[in-house]
Formats: sequence, C-alpha cells, structure tokens
Amino acid sequence: MANKTTTPSSSEGLAEAEKVTVTIDGREVAVPRGSLVVDAASSLGIHIPIYCAHPKLDPVAVCRMCLVRVGKMPRLQPACATVVSDGMVVTTQSPEVAKVREGMLEFLLLNHPLDCPVCDRGGECDLQDFAVRYGPQTSRFPITQKSHAAKAVVLSDKIELDQERCILCWRCTRYYDEITGEKELVLVRRGIDTVIDSFNGEPLTSDFQGNLPEVCPVGALTHRQYRFQARPWDLQRTKGICPECSYGCNINIDARDFEIKRFASRDNPQVEDMWLCDRGRYSVEKWSHGSRVRHPLIRAGGEVREVGVDEAVAEAARQLGEVLRLHGGGAIGVIGSPMLTNEELWLLQRLARETLDCHNCDHQLDELGNVSADEHSLGIAEIEDCETVVVLGAEPEANTPVLTLRLHKAQLRRGVEVRRVEHDASPASLGIKGKRLVGVIADEVHRAYAADMADALASGNTLVKRLTVTRGVNGRGAKDMGMLPTQGPGYSRVTGGKDGRQILHAASAGAIKALLLVGAETVLRGAGILAEKALAKVDVIIAIEPRAGIVANAASVVIPGHTYFEKRGSVTNVEGRVQRVSPALPPATAAPQETRVLAMLAAALGATGWGTGDPFEVNTMLSQAIDAYRGAGNGGRALWKRQGEPR
Amino acid sequence: MTLSAASRSEIQGYKARYPEPRSAVLPSLWVVQHELGYLPVPAMREIAGILGLEPSEVQAVATFYSMFLDKPAGEHSVVVCRNVSCALRGADELAAHVERTLGCPSGGTTSDGQFTWESTVECLGACGGAPAIQVDHRFHENVTPEVMDAILGRSRSQPAPSVGGESEAASTKQRGEPKTAPRAKRTSRPKRAHIDPGDL
Repeated sequence: MANKTTTPSSSEGLAEAEKVTVTIDGREVAVPRGSLVVDAASSLGIHIPIYCAHPKLDPVAVCRMCLVRVGKMPRLQPACATVVSDGMVVTTQSPEVAKVREGMLEFLLLNHPLDCPVCDRGGECDLQDFAVRYGPQTSRFPITQKSHAAKAVVLSDKIELDQERCILCWRCTRYYDEITGEKELVLVRRGIDTVIDSFNGEPLTSDFQGNLPEVCPVGALTHRQYRFQARPWDLQRTKGICPECSYGCNINIDARDFEIKRFASRDNPQVEDMWLCDRGRYSVEKWSHGSRVRHPLIRAGGEVREVGVDEAVAEAARQLGEVLRLHGGGAIGVIGSPMLTNEELWLLQRLARETLDCHNCDHQLDELGNVSADEHSLGIAEIEDCETVVVLGAEPEANTPVLTLRLHKAQLRRGVEVRRVEHDASPASLGIKGKRLVGVIADEVHRAYAADMADALASGNTLVKRLTVTRGVNGRGAKDMGMLPTQGPGYSRVTGGKDGRQILHAASAGAIKALLLVGAETVLRGAGILAEKALAKVDVIIAIEPRAGIVANAASVVIPGHTYFEKRGSVTNVEGRVQRVSPALPPATAAPQETRVLAMLAAALGATGWGTGDPFEVNTMLSQAIDAYRGAGNGGRALWKRQGEPR
Repeated sequence: MTLSAASRSEIQGYKARYPEPRSAVLPSLWVVQHELGYLPVPAMREIAGILGLEPSEVQAVATFYSMFLDKPAGEHSVVVCRNVSCALRGADELAAHVERTLGCPSGGTTSDGQFTWESTVECLGACGGAPAIQVDHRFHENVTPEVMDAILGRSRSQPAPSVGGESEAASTKQRGEPKTAPRAKRTSRPKRAHIDPGDL
C-alpha cells in the first residue's frame, strides 16, 4: 500500500505526522491521512472482502464487494475507494453489510460455472473463499439456467482465459494499463455480454503475462504451464530468489513431489514490487530435469571409479598439491559461476588465493573492465526518487526485464524522466543539467561508458548514482566476494591473475596444469571449442559440478554439486541486496554442500581455521571480512563507501 | 490502408481537438462507419495508429456501443421492437413473420444483402403506435404482417435513403464541427419520421 499514489514513499515521514483517527467496528485506529478504509480496517485485523481492489493498482470500485457503512452516509460506501477522514465511523460487521455481501456473491455466482474441482485456482480462489465466508449457502437460481461463455480461450502460449469464471473485476486490464502500459487486454462488449479479450483475439505478446493469473482473483486467467499440475494444498512452498537473472526478484517456489511446479511472486516492494517477468517465472521446468552427477568419481587411466566423498576430496587435494609443488600456484586456474552463493564464492576465492597461492580466479569469461563498488550505488526502488534516469543501451532491460516495470512506474507515478540512449551516447548531447539526483543504468559490459557518463553528469549539486546490471543470479555477489582476476573480497587490491578466458587459453597452451571448476559447466559451455580444448589438454581437473556435461566428462576428480534450488546460502542482486536462499528441492546427491566440500578440500591441503563449511558459519566469516556485508544482513543492501567518502 | 485520405484527415482533426486522444475515438469510429458501413479490424487498427492508442482501446469502445457494426450490414436496416407495449400488440408474431419472410434470424442479413434485421432492441419509444418498427431509421407504427410486407417490398427496389444526413450535419454544426461532416449511410442519428400505415 505504501506504493499507492495516495501515499508516495517519499512523503512517508510527512504522513507520519498527519494521522487521522477512525473508528471501525467500535475500535479506534490512527492511520496516515489519505489511507483507504480497506487498509485502515486491515491494520486492525478486520477483513473486508475485495475483488477489484489490488494493493498495487488504483481503486476503481467496480466489484461492489467491499461495501461498508460509513458514518451517516445514506448508502453503503466502497471501502476500497473511500479515503479515511478524521472521526470517521465505519461499520463492516452488521446485518446490513452482511446482506449486501451475500447479495453480491449471489450475483457473482449467478453464471459462474462452479467447476472448482477442475479449476487450477480451486483452493486459492477468492471467489471460493468469500463464498464460504460471506456468501449465501444456497443459490436461488437453477444451475441448469446459467448463461455460458467460452472456456479455455488461449490468449497466448502462456495464458489461458476462462470467460465463464471471470467476474469482471478489471484487475487484468488495469494491470496492463498501469503496470506495463501495454493495454493488451480490454473489456469487450457490455452488460451481460462483457468479456475480457485482446484486440481481435490476437495473442498476447507482453513479456510480463505471467502476472495476469496472479492478479486474477478467480480462476479466469491461468498459467498454461501450470495447468492441471497441482492443487495448492499439495504444494510445498519455499521462499527463494528467481534464478534467471541478477535482479533478485523474490519468489515463492512451489514444489510437488520433489518437482518445482511454479514460481509465484513474493512481494518485495524494494525489488520486483511483486511483478515477475515471463522468462523468470516460466523457467521452472529446467530445474526438475536434466542429467545429474550423483556420486563422486575419480577418473584415471581411462577408468572411472565411484568413490566416497572423503576419498574424492583426498585425491583432489593430492592432485592439486602436486601441481602446486611442481609448478606453483600460477599453474592453477580457478573458475566459479555466477550461479554460486556468496558463501561458496567467498570460500572458493579464499581457497585459491590463500591455500593454492593462485590468482587466476574468475566467475565468467567476458572482459569486465574496471569493476568497482561505485557501480551499484543506485538502488532499484531509488529509481523512483531520481529526477532523471539514463539507461545506456538496450541490454539493461533485456538482461533484467522487471527493471522495465520499475522504470515505467517511476515515469507514470513519480514523473521521473527516463532517457534511453545508445551505450556510447555523449553526456553533453543529453542536456541534463541542474538535477538533484540522476541515475545511470548500464549493462556490465558497458560499465566503462557508464562510469564516464556518471563522471560527466556529476557536478556540485547533482548526485549521480549508478546501477550496473550484472549477469547471472549472483553475478553481483561474485564480484563483491572477489571472485575476480584483479580484485579480492570487497574490491580489495590483490595480486592480479588471469581472467576466465585467459585461464582457458593458458590451459589449452599447456601453461596451466590444473583447473578447479565449481559449477562451471554453464560458464564453460558458453566458450565452445576453447573450453573443449582446455579441458582436453589439462590432466588435473577438479570439478564440483551438479550436472553431467563437458566438465564432468573431462574431470579427473568429480564431486557432485548442488543445483541452485538445493542450496542454502545468500545471493546478491544488481543493487547489492543480499538475500537468502534455502533448498526447495531435496539434493540429488548425498555429497555435502559445496561450502563443506571446499572446507574439506582446504583442510586436506593443510589449511587451518576454515571451520566446518556450514553455510551460516561461512556467512558469518565473510560478513566479518567484508564491511558492506556486515550491515546488509538478510534482505538489506550491501552499501559501499563511495570513493573519497570518509570511513 | 483501409481508410480514405479524407477520413484520415478528419480523424486527425478530431485528435487535435481534444486534450486526450482517447476522446477522439468515438467520432473517429463514426467517420469509419460512415465511410465503410461497418468497422473492419484493419480500420480500428488504423484509428489506433492515428490517435496513438493501442488497437485494443479502440475495440473496447467500438464493441461497447451496439450501433457500431462489426460486420457489413445489408442495404436496409429493419428493427422490430418487442418491448412490453409492442409485445402486447403482436410484435412477436410480427418478428416471426419477418424471420420467415427474410429467411434469416434476428441479427442476420439476407442472402441477397438487401436487409439486416433485428428484434433485440430496447424500446423504440413509440408505444402509442405499437407494434412499431424502424426501417432505415424511419418509424412505422401499428405494423401488421401485411403492412410489413408492403414496406419490405417497397424498400427492396430502392437504395437506402440517407436518413438523418441533414440532422447529423445540423447537430454537428452546433458543436462547431466542420461543415463537411460525412453523410450518414445507415446508422446515423434516427430522424423521427412517423409514417402512418394509412399513407401507404
């Protein structure tokens, strides 16, 4: 509700002072001026049924479900659109209100098909719930005389519409109006004939269709991917972070029988604001399938042996130790992945730098340029506070789609000027002058251009903040943790080493004798022939890898890894928000989590002071080592001191 | 492009007239219906293009109003009122007669493209002369099946009169619209020309 136009977040401090007192069902409550009756009631724990009202959308008051008695007003008023005033007396529980609710529900159910047993929404449907709680127990209208409309209308490859189940609350059309601005769904015809439809029945093309079934209060709009997959009460829900990009959208992971069935939004107003993109939402399937590595393996002389974890770790330590002794740490390359947790990445770079005396560390293969903490000073929600936001190139929104919705909201609700320019646009040509706060958003491969842009726009009164769109769910965390060739944890200065691509080149040339690869399958697969050459040339390849593939096939020692949804740990999003992830699926292997394996490996190499490798313990250790993470905790942002700022 | 240059420029004119382009949707739809006789999908897309709206917004407005047609209508329109007064005076039999005579159900168009007729309309407001019908927007009262046959027979041989063209021009002039408002083809504002069956 804090994101409503009626209570803009910047004036929250002001609203604090301006409270009005209302009495609802005989109980007094002080709420900010401008609040709606429905929200004031909910702050008292009083439930008012709503269909058309939605916390992220403007009120329209079309469903008439929330009618309540307000003071001496002659008629009942919609609680979702009535703004509180001082001394207002509201009655939500009276025979009069109960009768109206019953009547409204009887109308809504008049032509509703009552196909709940085969409806995907059954069990989490507001129509079901309110009918039980507030509705009449029986209908006065014969079920045989219902008027029927089209069922299972395919709106796109993602969404299906059941026009009979629709109660015409307008939430989906308003979602398209207010949240995406695409207006793909409208109300067609009128009266009893009104239906929701797209223009000329053409397929929806939005990148954000998956939010439609979530705003729909009934089973009219449903996910095609999730159709008939599960009943809500069969689902086991885990809080998590969307795996598809670095934006860090908060999701609920709904699994049934150890298979992820859907991702549902978990409203975090600071990040995704409850809207997910289709790329993320419908990326469900790949997590329950695919060939896995289940047992530790040692590959020697053309033979592959299944071994225990202890033996695999000892053998890995022996092989790495031998290369270290004969050729030094410079002959070892360590490649991680942006899909790893902060804890894993921090341990991995520590293992490389401290135990293996190796500075060839990276988590990806692109040329990154000068990475610094400055590049993520702008928070996602802070975009709304900017006067102007400069978006360099098309990549930021392509790589983090939900950013588009935040920019749209900033434009629509807060009047932020959004300038989309080429990545190499000249700052002078933009004519941005005399602004208080300017945001610069760029993809990570364009960070040098963004730095120049930010420097040029900054002046005495203009503060410029940057948001750099990293790649991979923990691409930001990998950099913060120092899984970089030239910088250590917290962007500290360290002895420079080879970057990811240079490691592969050196490996295929024979200069690198050993590779330690953790979850690097996806990274290396992107390098094609170069990776294949490197893997074929190097004899000592220690891999911690969840999936079968080129890495597991080439490695001399393979220890089964865990996929992103089998792990405990934390990941950091584009704006530096550190968010916890916990297992949504049971592990496909009996091997311990990567942090534990890395600690075992360090111990086997003779290191001390590594602890047990428990993710929480590692998290405590890395928070002590990196200042910004100490303050972030779970869900907060890792805020870095800007260069030149006093400590 | 489905629309003529004249229609396009007229829509441009409406767009310029209002602070919100959405306000120009209704007059633009009339322009199209006057030119083409109905609202084909490409034309709605074209309106949206000119006004800078999404096509879906134009369609939402077009489908809301029952006087906008989504498919080509016959040369003549026949509307049979079946509201209370007319029903009491035999409108149901009259409608059944029309259906038999024209050979298509209410809402349909005859195979020769001469007539589009419907009987699901709101009260025509001619209860005093029930049962009442409208043929090409002209009222006929106290209609019997025989009178109906005569009216249909007479219409069949003639092109549809541009009824309401004058009144449309007059009323738009009041609102300060250009004098070149197009002549209504079929679905303009009805002119109440009461015709007594005795005149026939």
